[in-house]
Amino acid sequence: MPAKLVIQDLTHHYPDEYTGESVHALEKINLKVEEGELVTVVGPSGCGKSTLLNILAGLLPYREGLVTVDGVKIEGPGSDRGVVFQEHAILPWRSVSKNIGHGLELRGAPVEERKQKVAAFIKLVGLEGFEDKYPHELSGGMKQRCAVARTLCADPVVMLMDEPFAAVDAQTRITLQEELNRIAIATKKTIIFITHAVDEAAFLGDRCFVFSARPGRLKAIVDINIAREKRIWSEMNVDKEFLSSRDEILRLVREEVNVAIEE
Amino acid sequence: MLLSRNNLNRFLAFWRHFSGANAIHLVLVIFGILLVWTLISHALENPDRYLPSPIAVALSSFDMVYEGLLPSYFGDTIGRLIVGSIFGLALGIPFGLILGINRTVADMFYPMMNFFQSISGIAIFPIVVVWFGNSDKTIFIVILYTSFFPIAFTVLSGVREIPMKYIHAVRTLGGSRFQIIRDVLLPGSLPHIATGSRLSIGFAWRAVIAGEMLAGREGLGWMIFTAQDVDRTSEVILGMLLIGLSWIILDHYLLRPFEADTIERWGLVQR
Ligand SMILES: Nc1ncnc2c1ncn2[C@@H]1O[C@H](COP(=O)(O)OP(=O)(O)OP(=O)(O)O)[C@@H](O)[C@H]1O
Ligand SMILES: [Mg+2]
Repeated sequence: MPAKLVIQDLTHHYPDEYTGESVHALEKINLKVEEGELVTVVGPSGCGKSTLLNILAGLLPYREGLVTVDGVKIEGPGSDRGVVFQEHAILPWRSVSKNIGHGLELRGAPVEERKQKVAAFIKLVGLEGFEDKYPHELSGGMKQRCAVARTLCADPVVMLMDEPFAAVDAQTRITLQEELNRIAIATKKTIIFITHAVDEAAFLGDRCFVFSARPGRLKAIVDINIAREKRIWSEMNVDKEFLSSRDEILRLVREEVNVAIEE
Repeated sequence: MLLSRNNLNRFLAFWRHFSGANAIHLVLVIFGILLVWTLISHALENPDRYLPSPIAVALSSFDMVYEGLLPSYFGDTIGRLIVGSIFGLALGIPFGLILGINRTVADMFYPMMNFFQSISGIAIFPIVVVWFGNSDKTIFIVILYTSFFPIAFTVLSGVREIPMKYIHAVRTLGGSRFQIIRDVLLPGSLPHIATGSRLSIGFAWRAVIAGEMLAGREGLGWMIFTAQDVDRTSEVILGMLLIGLSWIILDHYLLRPFEADTIERWGLVQR
């Protein structure tokens, strides 16, 4: 079976209208993500991670290379690819349940089905009792969970996450990571998860793609062979496989950060 | 709307706010103004012409209410304000939205809007009088013209200020162009629509008064204008007081609650 998501020779330049010089963000990216896999992407700041994600989401048009989902070329945004943005982009004028059910509403799903699914996802992300609250009445972590539930509820084929937990405190982040792991087990979604945090990349990923400093190239792929069921922080902190994968990713990222600093 | 539960709470909060120290301050200020006013009035040689005392103003207001003139003028003015600004908003809101949504249309109309915005309602009065004479129609057009621009500009900038991330989010949820307008651009600009409406009605309120003076139609503006002609200064002052007080009441109990409710509900401002 062909891979779920295939990226071939993807190169991206941002044109600069004022200086005429362009920013070279991505260089010849080649990678595949299998169905049901959760892959993490790490790399130094400015190496093109968000650029890659925006291209996958269809929000940023690309000219060089080819990106396909289920063999179909990506040519714009679509509900087959759900996105969780770095700053939760849930709508302030919609209640929690209206935000979570938004995707279903947009495609005209019957009210009954919507109610059921929304209730299920509210339960999954632990937002019971907050259905009718508005985003400004939620904590940062709850907003992020709401955003995750909104994307899940729209039932995308691939889920794209851009440093979704970067803005929450360390304690909440650990909880959210374990929650996302549970969700990955429960929904078997194909997930691409971008992060700065090496721990997070090793904890969540079946594989971790390490990017080089700008222009972003795929520098290395680290396999993390740990059963999802085993992935809870209390165990991972002493797990040999986890620690060695994490150190490996850390080493690879360090090299790149040093390159970036020397430049 | 005026009798909503929210307004009742606001009314109570207002009075609670003005009980105790605040109330004393407010009363002191009003009393002080009245006192100074009375003193100046008494020091003048011909107070009836230059500055009638507060008591004289109050007496003339009793007369006018008794004769039924004041309520009728008041009704005329408020009626014109309502009709004119409703039409102004009804045209200005969609216009601002369309300009905010579509760059090409915005680039087409923006310079023209800016041009007309600089010509105040008073400045278009002469030409409108040429077209429609000293009629209610003339006042109506001036109010509509005056209230149109503030709301159109506010809504336009409101739509533009909506963060791209919300539009991106709905696009990736599978939203169509129409759905993005309905679910993001419209609700996202509602706080601006509220603020802009308040601004527009404020401008319209001044335009009605000016319009009545220039077109010579009965109403509060006309009342102060004609009273001046016949040296009834107490009526001039009475008219001014009414104009200011009605605005405070309208603004406090109708416009501000609407603005605050839309903005606060969604937590779009930190309080
Ligand atoms: N809209 C844009 N226009 C022009 N240049 C851009 C734009 N967005 C990003 N860039 C440039 O492209 C490069 C990659 O940016 P990108 O946002 O993809 O980095 P990133 O890996 O997500 O960084 P971070 O980890 O800090 O979020 C940067 O050098 C940035 O300056
Ligand atoms: Mg980024």
